[in-house]
Amino acid sequence: MNFMSSEDQIAYRDSVATMLAAEVTAESIRARWDSPKGIDEKLIEQLNELGLNTMLVPESCGGLGLSELDFILLAQECGRAALPEPLVDNVLVANAMLADVACSDLVSAKQCEDLLSEVAAGKVMLACGHWINPFINMAHIHQWLLLSHGDEVHLVESSAVELLPQRSADPSRRIFKVNWQPKAETRIANGEAGAGLWRRALNRGALGVAAQLIGLSESILHRAVGFTADREQFGRPVGSNQAVKHLLADCAVSLEFAKPVMARAAYAVGSNSSDADCAVSHAKVAASRAAQLCARHGMQVHGAMGYTWECDLHIWMKRCWAIDKTWGDAGFHKNRIHERLLDPSTLMGAGHTFTSATSKTYNSQEGAA
Amino acid sequence: MKVLVPVKRVIDYNVKVRVKADQTGVELANVKMSMNPFDEISIEEAIRLKEAGHAEEVIAVSVGVQQCQETIRTALAMGADRGIHVVHDGDIEPLVVAKILKELVDKEGPSIVIVGKQAIDDDSNQTGQMLAALLGWGQATFVSKVEIEGDSIKATREVDGGLETISVMLPAVLTTDLRLNEPRYASLPNIMKAKKKPIEQFTPVELGVDPSCRIEILKVAEPPTREAGVKVSDVGELVDKLRNTAKVI
Repeated sequence: MNFMSSEDQIAYRDSVATMLAAEVTAESIRARWDSPKGIDEKLIEQLNELGLNTMLVPESCGGLGLSELDFILLAQECGRAALPEPLVDNVLVANAMLADVACSDLVSAKQCEDLLSEVAAGKVMLACGHWINPFINMAHIHQWLLLSHGDEVHLVESSAVELLPQRSADPSRRIFKVNWQPKAETRIANGEAGAGLWRRALNRGALGVAAQLIGLSESILHRAVGFTADREQFGRPVGSNQAVKHLLADCAVSLEFAKPVMARAAYAVGSNSSDADCAVSHAKVAASRAAQLCARHGMQVHGAMGYTWECDLHIWMKRCWAIDKTWGDAGFHKNRIHERLLDPSTLMGAGHTFTSATSKTYNSQEGAA
Repeated sequence: MKVLVPVKRVIDYNVKVRVKADQTGVELANVKMSMNPFDEISIEEAIRLKEAGHAEEVIAVSVGVQQCQETIRTALAMGADRGIHVVHDGDIEPLVVAKILKELVDKEGPSIVIVGKQAIDDDSNQTGQMLAALLGWGQATFVSKVEIEGDSIKATREVDGGLETISVMLPAVLTTDLRLNEPRYASLPNIMKAKKKPIEQFTPVELGVDPSCRIEILKVAEPPTREAGVKVSDVGELVDKLRNTAKVI
């Protein structure tokens, strides 16, 4: 099992990380809070120019044909930058779901293929409203919505629904409750096909949150280490005291334990493995735990400054708290893990950790995903 | 025409550089490396010349360790057509790089060489000028605007007093300043395509250049720590300290 990222994956990550580091700063995020739409439209165009919006779309449908494994490091970078634009949900969930229908033999495949080409050209944006999330982030900037009604998947124009704005703890998020009525003409999948699409959407969404939480946590930890190394009291940095540095060491340990779990989940989702539900839930639980720890300790070591609006730290902390509850809370994901563990047919033990991945390599460069 | 662009692998501009404990140089182990920012500007300008129809081919060249291939790949992902890697493991000086580039210019026959005005690691600001001298070509250094006019280049240079506009006959060497352009980000499809673009490899010896160093680094030290300021109670004390302690008035 090779857990190293491939050269290509690192190159994609570096390219996106360089762009986000230059274009998404704390000042620019604060500027979005006062803007009418809450987003930087030029940045969305730039991200489209990089080819991100069709990254997970198969080549046969005009995309790049890459997998969740290739995207996961990018999602991590989006978290690190606290990117307000809903790139991860768009690329990893909505666009990928539309591509799943477009490449299927469902009767709505042609309609979805046409819409997919418009998404690829950056003409329209598509959001996904899964039943597990009561609100859709940035629904007002999307022209199309994928909405759930039981197992049915409906493709609805956003002009045909009522968007009720809600207030988020994170000022970078503009969340909306959607009032709509399902109609036969908007239904693009139902029954077993619909259930399968929603299951994959949930796994992709939770995986994207896990990756973003890890990026957010790394950024918080980086800031906390920098602050405690610079801030001096009684003639020495506050970070030299065990009471401070051990808190941050705990954060680093929990992050390091969360990363391989996330990578395994990305592999499971990318390869459509039967244990994807459990692997994703494990990743979400581990990443959430690390993020909660980093947010709490990061704020503590910043002292009173950590509580203030002026200190940039809260941009990252509030994002952790806000997205932690999306795509299933800790209780939901722990239940999915319990179901798997208590299933008598589950093969347990070291020899079965990667049951579906035996004799394959992890990174997509070598052909596994 | 062809455009040749040297690209150097340097410590990433976001990294805080640390001096080695034995003061023989700076710490490079486990440090993020990337393309010299001025070379990114050079690559961008070369690609723009190609997109405007002035150039047919952009060749990225790097001299140094095996990992320089990553830097060349970045240039290829931005839009360069092919790469040349001159492999050398030790330290390398601007004069040696200029001699290697001269050999490559003789081999490839480009009409323009676009060099970053300096590398952010050693700040030498020598290679472009040395190359122009070795080739006997005209040069436009610190350019912030480039226009091709037939068989010459109209270049706007950033000089101390403002901007100077000059005309240089082709072939020529240009060295790029910060404000020439804003380099593009490599797109994912171009990163994928870059893997298939060829990179030729040479050694300095194969090109007939002796890579040995003529300069010995005696010591590398961090700048002195800035001392804390002093609060003064009134203007009189300030003037007194400026006159007698700082001795600046």
